[in-house]
Amino acid sequence: MIYNKTTVVIFLLFLVIEVSCERKQAAQFKDEQDIIRLTYWCASNQDEINLAKELVNEWNAEHPKVQVVLQPIPASQSSEEALLAAIAGKTTPDVCSNMWPGAMDDFTSSGGLVRLDQFPDFIEYMQKRMPEELLESFRSPDSHYYQIPWKTNPIMVMYNKKMFREAGIVRPPRTYSEYLAAAEKITKDINGDGRIDRWMGYRDIRPIWWQRLFDYYPLYIAASGGMTLFSGSEIAFANEASVKVFQFFNELYRYGYYPLTTFQGDAFLAEQVATQFTGPWNVIHVENFKPPGFEYGISPIPVPDDYNGPVYTYGDHKNISIFSTTEHPEAAWQFTKFLISAQADLRLLEICSQIPLRKNLTVVPLYHEYFLENPMMMQFAEQAVYTRGVDGSSVLKEIFDAISQEYEICAVYNKRMPQEAVANAAKRAQIIIEWNRK
Amino acid sequence: MKAGFPVNKIKNKTGYLMSLPYILYFCLFIGFPLIFSFILIFHKWNIVTPMQWVGLRNFYRLFHDVQFFTSIRNTLIFLVIHIPLQIVIALFLAVILNQKIKFKGFFRALYFLPVVVSGVVVTILWQQLYAYETGLLNLLLTRLGITKIPWLTDSRWAMPSIAIMATWKNVGLYIVLFLVGLQSIPHYLYEAAEMDGARSLQQFFHITLPALNNTMVLVVILSTIGGFSLFIEPFVMTGGGPMNSTLSAMLYIYNQAFYFGHMGYAATLGFFFALIILIVVLIQKKIVERKD
Amino acid sequence: MKKAIIYILLIIGGLMFAYPFLWMISATFKPEVEIGSIGLWSSNFGLHNYMAVFQKIPIGRAFLNSIFVSACVTLSVILFGSIVGYALSRLNFFGRDFLMGVILFTMVIPFQITLIPMYILMVKFGWVDSYMALIVPSMISSFGILLFRQFFMDIPQDLIDAAKIDGCNDLQILFRLIYPLSKPVIITVGIITFMSSWNDVLWPLIVIRLQKLMTLPQLVTIFAVGGQAEGQLGAQLAAATLLAVPIILVYAFFQRYFIESMATTGLKS
Repeated sequence: MIYNKTTVVIFLLFLVIEVSCERKQAAQFKDEQDIIRLTYWCASNQDEINLAKELVNEWNAEHPKVQVVLQPIPASQSSEEALLAAIAGKTTPDVCSNMWPGAMDDFTSSGGLVRLDQFPDFIEYMQKRMPEELLESFRSPDSHYYQIPWKTNPIMVMYNKKMFREAGIVRPPRTYSEYLAAAEKITKDINGDGRIDRWMGYRDIRPIWWQRLFDYYPLYIAASGGMTLFSGSEIAFANEASVKVFQFFNELYRYGYYPLTTFQGDAFLAEQVATQFTGPWNVIHVENFKPPGFEYGISPIPVPDDYNGPVYTYGDHKNISIFSTTEHPEAAWQFTKFLISAQADLRLLEICSQIPLRKNLTVVPLYHEYFLENPMMMQFAEQAVYTRGVDGSSVLKEIFDAISQEYEICAVYNKRMPQEAVANAAKRAQIIIEWNRK
Repeated sequence: MKAGFPVNKIKNKTGYLMSLPYILYFCLFIGFPLIFSFILIFHKWNIVTPMQWVGLRNFYRLFHDVQFFTSIRNTLIFLVIHIPLQIVIALFLAVILNQKIKFKGFFRALYFLPVVVSGVVVTILWQQLYAYETGLLNLLLTRLGITKIPWLTDSRWAMPSIAIMATWKNVGLYIVLFLVGLQSIPHYLYEAAEMDGARSLQQFFHITLPALNNTMVLVVILSTIGGFSLFIEPFVMTGGGPMNSTLSAMLYIYNQAFYFGHMGYAATLGFFFALIILIVVLIQKKIVERKD
Repeated sequence: MKKAIIYILLIIGGLMFAYPFLWMISATFKPEVEIGSIGLWSSNFGLHNYMAVFQKIPIGRAFLNSIFVSACVTLSVILFGSIVGYALSRLNFFGRDFLMGVILFTMVIPFQITLIPMYILMVKFGWVDSYMALIVPSMISSFGILLFRQFFMDIPQDLIDAAKIDGCNDLQILFRLIYPLSKPVIITVGIITFMSSWNDVLWPLIVIRLQKLMTLPQLVTIFAVGGQAEGQLGAQLAAATLLAVPIILVYAFFQRYFIESMATTGLKS
C-alpha cells in the first residue's frame, strides 16, 4: 500500500542524501583551489591529539595558504592495520605522525610513501636535529629515507616508592636476582583473607604479539647489550640472552610474583602491583590519575646478574612520513619540519611526556626548565640514547607472534624449558621467513 | 484460465525482472567472491602489493600448519561441549516450562534475553565473571569455600568456559524452539500412555523425544553452523590463548588475513575450512536421517 | 509439591540469566574500586563511567550509524526478499527451479570463504570506510527470500486472479494485495534481519576503520579490547551496557514478536 511506497522512497532518499553530501564536500574543496589543504593523521590517544590540535592551529594561523586538517588515526587493533588499509583503499592522508619503523617494509613496498631525501634540505636538517648513527638506523634497505625520526619512548621500570620502602627495599633492583628478591618481599596477602592482593608486577598474559614489546623484547635488548631480533637479514635472537629473559619471566610467574590473571583497570595506580615496564608517555597518565600520597620512581630495566655495561632498552619509536598520494609534497615537508621544530619538541615533552629524538636534549637551554621540573623525564631522556628499535622486516609481526607463543608456554605456564622454547621460536621464525620469501 | 502464448511470454519476463535483484546480487557478492577466492588460493597477496603466483605453495603450507589444525580441533571441541550442553539444558527448561504454570511468558522472555543482546556485551560481561583473581565466579566460589577455578588461564578450562558462555547466550532460542515442538505433541498420546501405566520418565523417552526429532535436527544444525563461526568470544576474551586452546578456526583465519596480511593463504584456509563444515553438516544429516 | 519445585527451578534459571545483566548495569554506576563486589547496591552510585564513555568515543554517532545501517539493510531485505520471493512462488519462468536450487545452495556455503574476497571487492570499489560497504553486501538475504516464498505460496490463487482481472501488474499485486496480508512474515523477516545486522561485528571490523563510521558493537569492541578506556573497567562496562540497552528495550516491547518469529521460522525450517 502507500506505506510501502513511502518506505522505498525514504530508503532511496537516504542514498541520495548520502551521495550528495559527499559531492558537496568535494565541491567545497574545489572552490578554494588556491589554498593548499593537507590532511594530517596523528595517533589516536588523547595526549597526542591535544598536541596535534595545538600545533595544527598554530600552523594554520601562520600559514593562510596552506591549511592543515587534523584527523586521529582510525582506532583499531593496531594503527599499522589502519594505515595499510588506507594505502590499499587510497584514502591516505598527506602526513602521518604515527609511523612505526617495524612496518616500514610493508609501507615502502607498496609504494605508499614519499622518498624524503628528494628534498634538498632533508639530510642537512635531520643531521642538525639528531645524532648521526641514530639517523642511519632509520635508512631503508634501498638506502633512501622514507621516515622522519620523531620521538621515542624508552621502556624502563616505574616503581612504587612507598611500597618498596614499606617492604624494606632500599634501592630499585638492578639485576634479575635483585628483582626476584624484591618480588618476594612485595608479593603478599595484605588483608589476611587467604588471597594474595599485592604482586611485584603484571603483564597481559594473552599471547598478543605486540605485548612482547613491553616485556620480552626490552629485556632481551638489555640482556644482549643492544642486539635486536635480526642481524642483517638473519635471525639472531636464539642466544643466551633470550634464554635468560625467558627464564626470568618463568620464575616470576612460577613463584607467583606476577599474577596469572587478566587485570582490568590500572593495577599500578591501584597499588596492586609495585612495578611496571612502561615508557615516558605514562608519566602524564600517572600524574593525572594518581591517588593522593602516591610516590613513584623510574629505574632502568633489570639485566642478568653477570651483565655489566650500559643498559639498553626498547625505544618505541614513532616517526613521521609523507604519503605518495599527496598532491603537495613540498608543502607537506614544510609542515613536517614545523612538527619537529625545537618549539614543537618542547610541547611534545610538556603535553605528551614523550621524548623527541633530538641531540643533546638534556643540555639545550630551551628544555632545561622542563627537565628541572620533571626529573622523571630526565631519566627517560638519558635512556633515549641507549635504545634500539625493531627490525624493519615484513614478517616481524609473525615472528613476534611465534615468540609470543613460546613465551606463553614457557614463561607464563611453565610447560616448557627456556632453552627449548627459544629454540622453537627461532625454528618457527625461520619457517616464517621461508614461507614469505619473495 | 489458460492464457495464450503472448501472456506466457510476459509472465516469463516479469519473472526474470523480479528475480533480477537476486541474480545481480549473486553474481557480485557470491559468484565473484567464490571465483576470486579460488584464484587467490594460488597466489600470495597482501593487498598493497601486486598478486604473486605461487602455485601450490599455499596447500603445502596448509598441510604443515600445526596451528591451523589446532584451531580446527579447538572449534570441534567447542562444538562437542556446546551442543549437547545446550540441548540438555534447553530441553530440560522447555519441558518444565511446558507444564501448567503461570508466568510462562515472563520466564520464556527472560531466558530469551541473552539471545538478543550482542555477543560483544556477553563477552565483556563474562570476562568479569571469569577473571581468576577478581572475577565474580571465583569470588562466589571462595565464599563458598571452594578453590578458585582458572576459567580462562588453564588450557583445559578455557574452551569449556567459552562453551559455557556460548550456551548461556543461545539456550533461550533453543528453549523456544523446543517449546514449539513440545506444544505440537498431541495430548492423547500422553493420556494413552498414562492409561497403559507408563511413568513420566518412560513417557519422556518414548513419546516426547521421538516427537521432537525434527526440532532436534534443526537445533543441531543451527548450533553447528553457528559454532563454526566462533570468533568474537576468543577474539575479545583470550586472544586465542592460553597456549592456543581457544584459537578458533575463524580467529586464526582472521589473524592470517588481517594481522599478517596473507590474503592468499587465508583464502586457502577458508576454503579448506568451508569444506570441513560441509562434511560435518552432511555427516550430521546422515546420522539424523538414519535415526528415522 | 511438584509445582513448587518447578517454580523454584524456573526462578533459579531466571536468576542465572538475569543476574549477570543486573550486575553489569549496577557496576557501571559504582566507583571503580567497588566494581569487584558481587552485590548490586553501592552507596556511591555515580554517572562518571558514562561520562567517560561519552567523552572518549563517539558513541552517539555509532548508535546512529547502527540504526541507519540496520534500517537500510532491513528495508532492503524486506523489499527485495519479497519481490524475489514472489517471483519464485507465483510466477512461472524458465530456470525458476534452478534459481531456487542456487539460493538453497548459497545458504549452505559458509561465509568463511566469501569473507576475504568480499573485502577485496570493497577495496576495489573504493567502498572501504563507507556506508556502502556496510549496507550493500547485506541488501539481499537468501533466508529472507525463502521465508517470503514459503509464505506467499499459501496465498489463494483466486485473490491474485481477481487482481489480474482488475488490470494489476505483478508489482502492483505484490504491494497492494499481498503486503497487507503478509504482516507476520514481514515482521518476522524484519526482526531477524534487524537483529542480526545490529549485532554484526566481524564485517564492520574488517571494512570500517574510521571511527566516525563505526557501528555501535564495533566501537564498543574496540573500546573494550583496545587501550582507549585507559584501563577503566567501569567505562568498558558502561560502553557494553550502552550497546545492550537499545536492543533490550526494543526486545521488551516487541518481545512477543521476537520470540514468535524465531519459533515460526524454526517450524518452517
